[in-house]
Amino acid sequence: MKVAQKSLLAGVLLSMSSIALAAGQLNLYNWGNYTNPKLIEKFEKETGIKVTITDYDSNETALAKVRAGGHGFDLAVPSHSHLPIWVSEGLLANPRVDQMPNFKNVADEWRNPDWDPGRQYSAPWQWGSVGIMVDTSVYNGDINTFGIVLDPPQELVGKINVAPEMNDVITSAILYLGGEACTGDKQLLRKVRDKLVEAKPKWKSMDYGVIEKFAGRDLAASLYWNGAAFRARLKNPDVRYGYPREGYSLWADAVVLLKDAKNVEEAKTFMNFIMAPENAGLISEFARYANSIVGSEKYMPEDMATAPEVIIPKEFIGFGKFYPTCPPDVQKMYTAIWTELQK
Amino acid sequence: MVIRRGAFVIKRMPGFTLVALACFFALYMPLAPLVVYSFNEGNNIALWEGLSLRWYREAWDNELVQSAAIRSLVVATVASVIATVLATMVALGTTRTRPYRGQTTIYALVNQPLIVPEIVTAVALLILFAMIKQATDYHGYAYLISAHTAFCIPFAYLPIRARLEGMDRVLETAAADLYATPWQAFKRVTLPLLLPGIFAGAMLAFVISLDDVVITEFVKSAGQDTLPTYMLGQLRRTITPEINAISTVLLTVSVIMVTLIFFLSRKKAK
Repeated sequence: MKVAQKSLLAGVLLSMSSIALAAGQLNLYNWGNYTNPKLIEKFEKETGIKVTITDYDSNETALAKVRAGGHGFDLAVPSHSHLPIWVSEGLLANPRVDQMPNFKNVADEWRNPDWDPGRQYSAPWQWGSVGIMVDTSVYNGDINTFGIVLDPPQELVGKINVAPEMNDVITSAILYLGGEACTGDKQLLRKVRDKLVEAKPKWKSMDYGVIEKFAGRDLAASLYWNGAAFRARLKNPDVRYGYPREGYSLWADAVVLLKDAKNVEEAKTFMNFIMAPENAGLISEFARYANSIVGSEKYMPEDMATAPEVIIPKEFIGFGKFYPTCPPDVQKMYTAIWTELQK
Repeated sequence: MVIRRGAFVIKRMPGFTLVALACFFALYMPLAPLVVYSFNEGNNIALWEGLSLRWYREAWDNELVQSAAIRSLVVATVASVIATVLATMVALGTTRTRPYRGQTTIYALVNQPLIVPEIVTAVALLILFAMIKQATDYHGYAYLISAHTAFCIPFAYLPIRARLEGMDRVLETAAADLYATPWQAFKRVTLPLLLPGIFAGAMLAFVISLDDVVITEFVKSAGQDTLPTYMLGQLRRTITPEINAISTVLLTVSVIMVTLIFFLSRKKAK
């Protein structure tokens, strides 16, 4: 029992010291393997604030822990699809990001996203898109369409992967068939289901971790995310990333201040800090996705600043859109389609 | 053991070797590529580029891995020690007493963590600890350690209880006959005989705590990532053989511990 007492004592001492030091501390709750250690080092050196990072692996885990309260975190990094839930459930404080000095660096198209009108709650972290990866040595036709996986050309049959993410796959199929994301139109959804079920035998896998497989030329096409497409191209120069003209989904993760944060000033300092171009560049350098800060390309590795996977070419920008989490009854139909697809 | 002719001996059933081999194959085959690719030179988990210890070095030099590993070891050590002490007391209380009402209930209660799905315990603890954290503003390791202790108890309890049940009661009775006080009898006779069981229980508890993901993920406070939750966090992005290297080390530790447990519990209670 002595051990228990000691650990309790140690714990009490630890908690006391954390109160005493509260002036210079910050607890960041972020996706695992997503925060550049160099960014944190720089922040600590410039501000003297000590940052503790804790990982999560899904929006749901993060939401569950923060909802329960008592978590001790100051900042979290939810995805755009979940951010409105955080706001509507009153989990966030409003730090008025739009009035922070470095907000001037935020690119125009990121100043008023649907999921955070007026951008008061969230400071941009990273964003990306769901598109099509193709090994052009196998197929060199038009790759800017979801037809690559849904109506695959003969050369690609049996060499296709689809990311096992329900919302991304079903939304892509709906857009391909001319519908709207989150549609409840049963007739269209039936067509979506038939299309997916019909296409599946032509796929090789529904899996993550495609970079290695493109490098090893085991796969020739995939519905996947742009960051991975970029990294795959560095290993296999024939890989290209297509932006489907039927419309494709964008996603973004953004830093928010939690209502029960203990280190509010430190947290705001951090939010402002990451909107400076040199710091946003560090964020992208590590996780290899774009940020929303003008001028940050100068601080990215060169291969990245010019990558068409990271910086969307002008002609394709218009096709991309953010989609919210669909209402529960629609979500239910999606799940039914998904289950059938998994059979 | 004396084997009578004609008795049912599973080892002599037709196809025994084949079935046993197939089972071992199914159990261990999936681990083989994981281990093999941990020695890969390239930063790829599916493309072999040559033999190297690069990823072991990288994992070793990675500060996040270091601190997560130390945290895992500390939590597992403290939790398994407390769990073993408690489990020993419960085991004595359920075997070295006259049968009493509710004994079976106690047995079931102690083994509850084996039956209740981990996610249920995790969510329950998340809610309970959140209330305590809000009320006390304490965010230290006591939560993680008490949660780990709780689910480690049955794992420590089972080998200790098995040992106690297999021990010859005559020795304890003899000690009592020779005017040993109950405490003396326990200290001089029961405890030394029980030690292999206690060590086996403690090691099993240690391994269980070391490997836990779900409960830890929900209970951990800021800056309390253990090795398994750190690994879980890595999976969203590219997986490098570093994860294979860490997994291989964890696997090796677990295998060594389980082997030791096996030898300890095989030691006959004389």
